[in-house]
Amino acid sequence: MTEQYRIGVDIGGTFTDGILLNENTGETRTGKVPSTPDDPSEGFLRVVNRMLGDSEIAPETVKYVVHGTTVATNAIIEGNLAKTAFITTEGFRDLLEIQTGIRPTLYDLQFEKLRPLVPRYLSFGVPERLDFRGDVLIPLDERAMRHIVDELRGEGVESIAVCLLHSYINSEHEERIGEILGEELPTVLYSLSSAVAPEFREYFRASTTVINAAIRPVVSQYLGKIKSRFQGSGISGEWLVMQSSGGVFTFEAAMERPVFMVESGPAAGVIAANHLGKTLGHENVISFDMGGTTAKAGLIENGTPRVTKDYEVGGTAANIEHGARGAGYPIRTPVIDLVEIGTGGGSIAWIDSGGILRVGPHSAGANPGPICYGQGGTEPTITDANLVLGRISADNFLGGEIRLDVDAARKAIKEKCADPLNMAVDEVAVGMIEIANNAMVGALRRVSVQRGYDPRDFLLVAFGGAGPVHANRLAEELEMPTVLVPMSPGTTSAMGLLVTDIRHDYSVALIQRADRIDKDTANVHMQRMKTEGETALVREGIGSDDMRFIRQADMRYVGQSYELTVPLSDGELTSDAIAGLLSRFHQEHERVYGFNAVGEPVEFVALRLSAVGRILEPRVREIAANEGGASVAIKGIRKVYFAECGGRVDCPIYDRYTLGPGDEIEGPAIVEEVDSTVVIHPGNRAVLDRNGNLYLSDGK
Amino acid sequence: MSSETPIDPISFEVIRNSLVEATEEMASALRRSAYSTNIKTRHDFSCAIFDLKMRTVAQSFSQPNHLGSLVETIPRALNAYGISDLHEGDALLVNLPYTGGVHLNDITLISPVFHQEALVGYVASLAHHVDVGGGAPASIGAFREIYQEGIIIPPVKFVRGGEINRDVFDLVLAQVRAKRETAGDFRAQIAANNTGIRRLTSLLDRMGPETVARYIDELIEYTDRRTKSELAKLPHGVFESTGYMDSDGYSDEPVKLVVKLTINDDGLLFDFSGTDEQRLAPINSTFAQTHSGVAFVLKCLIEPDVPVNTGFYRNVHMLAPEGTVVNCTEPYPVVGGWETQLRLTEVILRALADAIPERVPAGTEGMICHSGFGGFDPYRNENYCFLETIAGGYGARANSDGPDAVQPHGKNTANAPIEETEVNYPVRITRYELVEDSEGPGRRRGGLGLRRDYLFPDHEASFTILADRERWGPHGLFGGLPGEKAQYVLNPESDSLELGSKVTIQLAEDDVVSYRTCGGGGYGPPEERDPDDVLRDVRDGRISPERARDIYRVALDTEQWAVDFEVTRSLRSGDVEERGSLR
Repeated sequence: MTEQYRIGVDIGGTFTDGILLNENTGETRTGKVPSTPDDPSEGFLRVVNRMLGDSEIAPETVKYVVHGTTVATNAIIEGNLAKTAFITTEGFRDLLEIQTGIRPTLYDLQFEKLRPLVPRYLSFGVPERLDFRGDVLIPLDERAMRHIVDELRGEGVESIAVCLLHSYINSEHEERIGEILGEELPTVLYSLSSAVAPEFREYFRASTTVINAAIRPVVSQYLGKIKSRFQGSGISGEWLVMQSSGGVFTFEAAMERPVFMVESGPAAGVIAANHLGKTLGHENVISFDMGGTTAKAGLIENGTPRVTKDYEVGGTAANIEHGARGAGYPIRTPVIDLVEIGTGGGSIAWIDSGGILRVGPHSAGANPGPICYGQGGTEPTITDANLVLGRISADNFLGGEIRLDVDAARKAIKEKCADPLNMAVDEVAVGMIEIANNAMVGALRRVSVQRGYDPRDFLLVAFGGAGPVHANRLAEELEMPTVLVPMSPGTTSAMGLLVTDIRHDYSVALIQRADRIDKDTANVHMQRMKTEGETALVREGIGSDDMRFIRQADMRYVGQSYELTVPLSDGELTSDAIAGLLSRFHQEHERVYGFNAVGEPVEFVALRLSAVGRILEPRVREIAANEGGASVAIKGIRKVYFAECGGRVDCPIYDRYTLGPGDEIEGPAIVEEVDSTVVIHPGNRAVLDRNGNLYLSDGK
Repeated sequence: MSSETPIDPISFEVIRNSLVEATEEMASALRRSAYSTNIKTRHDFSCAIFDLKMRTVAQSFSQPNHLGSLVETIPRALNAYGISDLHEGDALLVNLPYTGGVHLNDITLISPVFHQEALVGYVASLAHHVDVGGGAPASIGAFREIYQEGIIIPPVKFVRGGEINRDVFDLVLAQVRAKRETAGDFRAQIAANNTGIRRLTSLLDRMGPETVARYIDELIEYTDRRTKSELAKLPHGVFESTGYMDSDGYSDEPVKLVVKLTINDDGLLFDFSGTDEQRLAPINSTFAQTHSGVAFVLKCLIEPDVPVNTGFYRNVHMLAPEGTVVNCTEPYPVVGGWETQLRLTEVILRALADAIPERVPAGTEGMICHSGFGGFDPYRNENYCFLETIAGGYGARANSDGPDAVQPHGKNTANAPIEETEVNYPVRITRYELVEDSEGPGRRRGGLGLRRDYLFPDHEASFTILADRERWGPHGLFGGLPGEKAQYVLNPESDSLELGSKVTIQLAEDDVVSYRTCGGGGYGPPEERDPDDVLRDVRDGRISPERARDIYRVALDTEQWAVDFEVTRSLRSGDVEERGSLR
């Protein structure tokens, strides 16, 4: 049998990481190249070619490629959006201006309202109106629509969002507008709310659709470019993107509905941490992923990451606490709940007008990158500070591929920060790192403490190129007992792309009372969704033994607006099946809300089917024994600055690949591998398990 | 745990946040299981946790106005009923206005929390029920005494040993119009309280009741310390202001509100002496309502990360003479008390503007602006009631424009989505837009008001407007002009009849009621506004080119979307002739 492979590629702000999985043996191989922000597909191509070339693997044997990316979220945060117009029902053009009416902060007299992504002069109302049953009250005025088209043409808009009242139940008018736009403005992309997020409550549907429209040109171009790079490469498998929910969908689907991949990259990290935790028997995990540009924290309880459909992006959403809302643009797609902050290895240190040392939010990113990379960076970054303090080595970066320039880093920190503050360079470098750590502790608190979880009950899984450099201090700060640093932490996120099951979610709106439900129609819907799912999985090479179909119904008491999702039994929907379903609904309502109302009428809202293709898990490799103990792995001694020791101390540098199972290391110590550095602070110790994972804990 | 053990900062954070998170989960349970749009979508409710000493320890992100009143209601209701009669699984229902309550629609459910059979504290949820009976659908209207306003509920045992008390439940439901919806909302409050109990007891299991109690003490003291030190930074002095509501719903005599604010080493004292006496009209605020308004302002003056609990509330000092519209007595009507309370907040802020001009906005919408209606739903064959409150323009600030169409100050309810409203109620929203040219002009302009039109198909509905601001718009500051007034209009496309701000009318089929709320006040002289900002507003259609020229004195080329700086300079130099020639 020919060997078959899967590839995961994770593009971060600084590095592009790849992972190659042999489906037959479960063995993996990783690759890492600097990201190429001007054209990310270049880094993508390079890392794939490197992995295939190094292993002499035929591209034809690649069954599929999964991509995790921050392109969508970056576009929103940086405002790199298409010039977008908004079309809605006449009388309602201000939906995006009015928003929910809620203030995100209760007691702030200086609050600002979220700035709409579409300015008011590009928002249009078109005469038409449906009632709540989807019946036409006012037909679509096509002449008026063509006038709007003329204006859109004059303004040179690049993308259009259409959201008409009650289109979630009858999409005819939206579709007709789509046809007109297609005819009149063939080069302009448009997004219809009935296709992107067919749920009621107009502002939330409109917001989701507007974001979709605004990022679509950027994302389409981006994904299209990646695919075109591989034209003729021989890779004939499926091209998939990770969604914010942790599932995957095809490049084509992503180009249509990019709003589903807003948190694609970060989701992969949480999935990876969960997988790692599970294989090691840890169900409660906090993931901490720090790269060059951002740091992300996610929380996993009982082996399941939190997923929310009540998500906001952009604005000040990232800084909002507790139940506050209205700070960001709402999207109604499932998202793995995580906190992301703009602190990474590339975060720039500067002195503010009040003479205070600050770090970020500006980042040197991949280009020019930190000063020490010698690629034209001029502002001191966190990576420069770590280098100056000896915590990372000048000779180990990317396994020694690039030699880092310590002197340039030191000089810049001195001139830009230390001299103006009249402080020593080392002191300032430590201060920079403390400020960054403080922000990251805040992110870890937000996913745990602020949601009522005690971080001391969780395992901290640290990865990303910079995660293991900082994790020990963060855990100390939060009194978290153990930090786990996986092998090859720089590519952990990419691994997350390959450990998620393939999953296709289908749903159909079916608002009918349970006692009057049309069972035949329901069964036809279920069968149709199952066939669709089956076809998709077959196309992805999943054998029938590895397929699973999960049937569910969304139900509520008549009069409620939020549904509970209740599992449906396999097979046809019969009267008996409905009776069983009803009793599960009442039970679930009791469990979730502490009461039920058995006599009250219950209605169906939607039927759901998920087609899941189980995939082979990567094999966990056991590392070779190291007879001589940890000291054999010491490859040198370096002066490293630790504030706890009052300055620089001789610090042993270990080679991670030489360490064997059970080896113990006392801090202060540094463990180096190709794509990361683990810093073990004084008073802490590290133990290696048989798979090469490093466990850091209090030395006492 | 002995009190000598030092406070561990991580445990402190965990407990403090767990308590707040528990109230958030209560709010989420209430929202997700409720039936009425007012609760499930507009968030017109609040949740809080109290300790054994009946001190507020945590509150949900919700309605600041409710929160200040829960603080008053809970101890008074519990003491009146007697805590010795409370057992595990019980819950008290209460809406009594004059002893810590507010208007009758806001009904509070209080549940004792037991841990290992010992009483350890209380959880409470307050929800605005759309209908509590009384003289008009949604129980709002111009009534002359409280008995016309709906059902009055002294503290009664609504849940006994985990089971709803049928006698009380049936008696309450018999008084209201939309019975199925109201019943669902009551069950949702029970769900909220059960959730709070579960989260609180799991915290006690994890940390131990003594530890939690000790950290709650510390949390309250910490809050008190921080509140005091924040307030100590304010300039000392006496600051006064007077404001008026348009009318009381029976007479056109304006309602006078007076505040004298004294800031000294003892903190802040708000004295409302000189305010009008209570009236047999729906504009009387209860003690607790007034207390909420003062607490809101105080909280705005301190760092946002200071928690809200008893340690904060004990710094709220006010003098609200009994028998006035800011502290009314039985049987004076209270349904419009929130209108008065919200305007009082404006008057207080106007006084503060003299003390801290950089931190205080010009006049905001300053009214709740109720829209309530009901009748017989021809599609669902049952009685229905609906209530919402319409947003308006916010006041301009020293360094920023006032946001358009937001809920001001102590109210922070969400808009009812049009689709959800139409799916559940026999009404059609025909317009929902910003009101152009409604802003109070200024160097920084006020926010725009909001227009919302309702059409009632296939039935004759009863409609109540309970609002204000049809005579005077929100005040400007330091040369800024007031925001445009609000308007309430019947059938704007045909008869265009102006309705008052406090009326109940019987509508014919397909009648339309149109709300246009007021804009926020401006800050600083409008002639000093950056012409580019004026250009942007005109381009966006917020302000007309005429208004730009006449009031802001900015001339624009609306073909090229550019400022004509030369003409603008001469307009602003006060050359009247030049201005005239442009007309």
